[in-house]
Amino acid sequence: MSKSRVNTVYEIIVVGVSAIALFAMQHIVGEFPVTLFRFPLNILVAALWCALLVGIYRKRSTSRLSQALLSMRATILALSLIITLGIVLGLQAKPHTESWPVVGAILFVLSHLVLITIRGARDGQHRLRIRFLLNHLGLILAIGAGFWGAPDREELRVIVESDKPTNEAYRSDGKMTLLDYNMQLSDFDIEYYDTGTPSAFKAGVVVDGREQTLRVNHPYNRTLSETIYLISYDTERGADARYCIVEVVREPWRWLSVAGIVMLMAGAVLMFIEGKR
Amino acid sequence: MILGWNIFPWVAAVAVLLSVVAAVCSALPSERGRHMAIYSAIGGIVVMAAFVVMLWLTLDRPPLRTMGETRLWYSLFLLLAGALTYIRWRYRWIMSFSTLLATVFIIINIAKPELHDHTLMPALQSPWFIPHVSVYMFSYSLLGCATLLSLYALWRPTKELDMAIERVLISGIAFFTIGMLSGSLWAKEAWGTYWNWDAKEAWAAATWGLYLLALHLTPQRRRVYYVVIIIAFIGLQMCWWGVNYLPSAAGSEHTYTMQN
Repeated sequence: MSKSRVNTVYEIIVVGVSAIALFAMQHIVGEFPVTLFRFPLNILVAALWCALLVGIYRKRSTSRLSQALLSMRATILALSLIITLGIVLGLQAKPHTESWPVVGAILFVLSHLVLITIRGARDGQHRLRIRFLLNHLGLILAIGAGFWGAPDREELRVIVESDKPTNEAYRSDGKMTLLDYNMQLSDFDIEYYDTGTPSAFKAGVVVDGREQTLRVNHPYNRTLSETIYLISYDTERGADARYCIVEVVREPWRWLSVAGIVMLMAGAVLMFIEGKR
Repeated sequence: MILGWNIFPWVAAVAVLLSVVAAVCSALPSERGRHMAIYSAIGGIVVMAAFVVMLWLTLDRPPLRTMGETRLWYSLFLLLAGALTYIRWRYRWIMSFSTLLATVFIIINIAKPELHDHTLMPALQSPWFIPHVSVYMFSYSLLGCATLLSLYALWRPTKELDMAIERVLISGIAFFTIGMLSGSLWAKEAWGTYWNWDAKEAWAAATWGLYLLALHLTPQRRRVYYVVIIIAFIGLQMCWWGVNYLPSAAGSEHTYTMQN
């Protein structure tokens, strides 16, 4: 066998064994322990991961692993993983996003992206360098912020009543936690089209002493990382609703996601203008 | 008022007729034929666009909600993408294909118009609505053109054709990416997350991955490249309307046509 073919066989074995290990972990341990990696552990692990990738990049002239991870075969594997994730999760009614194989797949995609982005950034001869960096760095930020920031993300539901202020919020696992501010429903209104279908649901909610109007598509940004959404209301009483249900979403990493998305959009615009590969 | 859709068959007939004239003229070798082709193609596009504008005014909301309405935009953008490809790269037969494909969607719309009342549920009342859907529709039509070109290239590959495929594909992917990302920014406003792996989002990711795969394939693998573009277009159909028939999308937040 030629040397490159031997390498390919090694690569297939490594990828296969990793996949089996991830599915085995899922089977033995259950879901990936996402919440274990809350701040500051996620920052620490992400920093170690970055250092490891820089080390792998530095050894690219001698290490077989580095060369494989920087190769076009790795790019094709990463894209195939995205396609597979899309199809598998697209067929599930409740997408299983916190499983070991999904976490492993995303970590591989991110690792490969970081490695080729370092290479592209250092390549002064790269013809479409700005576009390359916007697209690849943007993707790292967009996926990375969602991935490493997932443990810090909180979704809390609050039943906001008109009788009394409340600060009791419930996590998705049903556990109660207290907010450091109160909310109370001051006013609820439903507007209709002439056909009788609702055109708007509006909830006036006093948040921390200040009146805010919550509507679908119009949440209230309480802080840079905390947003309050109207998600349901007292359907039995309709416009005379005595309570509404809001969701408080805390996402400290959201601005990294936005930065990544904006970079990707700029990269897409450049793709359209420059055309060719 | 449903007046708009009553006259659609007549408007569509005029638009299709003009597009067929354009397609026939584009096959003529003379410069005069080329001019005729361009003018009648523009005529067909203007007629379709005028109908969309009229529908928008009668409905009092952007006609982008139902599947029928998105098909309307798709026919319009297909004619536009076909004409632009012809004007820019002078592909004689591209307008025959784009006209044929646009006609198929027009016929579906005449046979199955679905409901077109003026209500727009609160979830769709957002400034993101128009850019998100129209950019997507435009990308779908460019990617439709790339698929037609790839099917032709499988049979008779040329260097010139490869260049056209690449141009149309890259523009299509650029618009698809912008459509998807504007959707994710909208999702944050509406539901609190940028990406939720909902059935529609998951199929969009798979489709995007397939197109990126085509984009990253080396020029030596031409046939694989054409085949990936064709498969990606099937993925695109799943993402656009196929998911509505999947059990996994029963609770999807992106299905607006079935019950509403």
